[in-house]
Amino acid sequence: VVVTQTIEAPSRVGRPADEESREQDRPWIVVVWNDPVNLMTYVTLVFQRLFGYGRPQAERLMLQVHHEGRAVVSSGTRERAELDVTRLHAAGLWATMQQD
Amino acid sequence: VSPARGVQPLRDGGYGLRLDRHERELLGVLAADLEQRVRDDDASVARLFPSAYEDDPGADEEYRRLTRGSLTDGRLRALRTLRETSTAVRLDQQEAHAWCTAVNDLRLVLGERISVTEDIYERAIDRRDPRAPELAIYGWLTWLQSSLVDALASRL
Repeated sequence: VVVTQTIEAPSRVGRPADEESREQDRPWIVVVWNDPVNLMTYVTLVFQRLFGYGRPQAERLMLQVHHEGRAVVSSGTRERAELDVTRLHAAGLWATMQQD
Repeated sequence: VSPARGVQPLRDGGYGLRLDRHERELLGVLAADLEQRVRDDDASVARLFPSAYEDDPGADEEYRRLTRGSLTDGRLRALRTLRETSTAVRLDQQEAHAWCTAVNDLRLVLGERISVTEDIYERAIDRRDPRAPELAIYGWLTWLQSSLVDALASRL
């Protein structure tokens, strides 16, 4: 039994483990959605403060939210994305996260 | 020539507040009202606590379980600061950010209740609209929020 296990383990576990780790490696993205209340200047300010973006990048993302209805504002590990979503929710923005 | 109303960055790093007594009373009343509703987890404050996962109810429930407490505490702290400093003539940096968060929360909840749309700023309020009183308060909160954001952004 012990021998069988040690022989089987690499071949059996090999592929699913790789797929699983690839699944885990796919980055999470944070999406901010357009809403009719948050002011354009406020959204720009929030992007600058939370993510350290310069004004041009913060404005570009804000305009993308405004015109296209959504923009990806950050990405990374699941933990990182969840923290960013929480900070955006604290600021009153409509944010969700999903795996890319 | 009288100085501009609203919020102005001061040389000492703080922010000057030029508002009427009645505007300050209104802010105090609105803040206290929203504090109560956030504490009661009233259905009207749902907009302040959106979903993080749109297509995964299980993950979303877990997200809410983990974050609801700190999000609620943060909102209550900001609203309390707004209420307690509603008569102030000067705000420090932290208080000004609390005002910005709290006034935005007031707008989010009121805006949701009266179903505002993006084009609301493009025309005058129709006095026959049953929402007219709330639209007027919403418009005033938007002016104040705009003034706060401009003042804070000037320091970035």
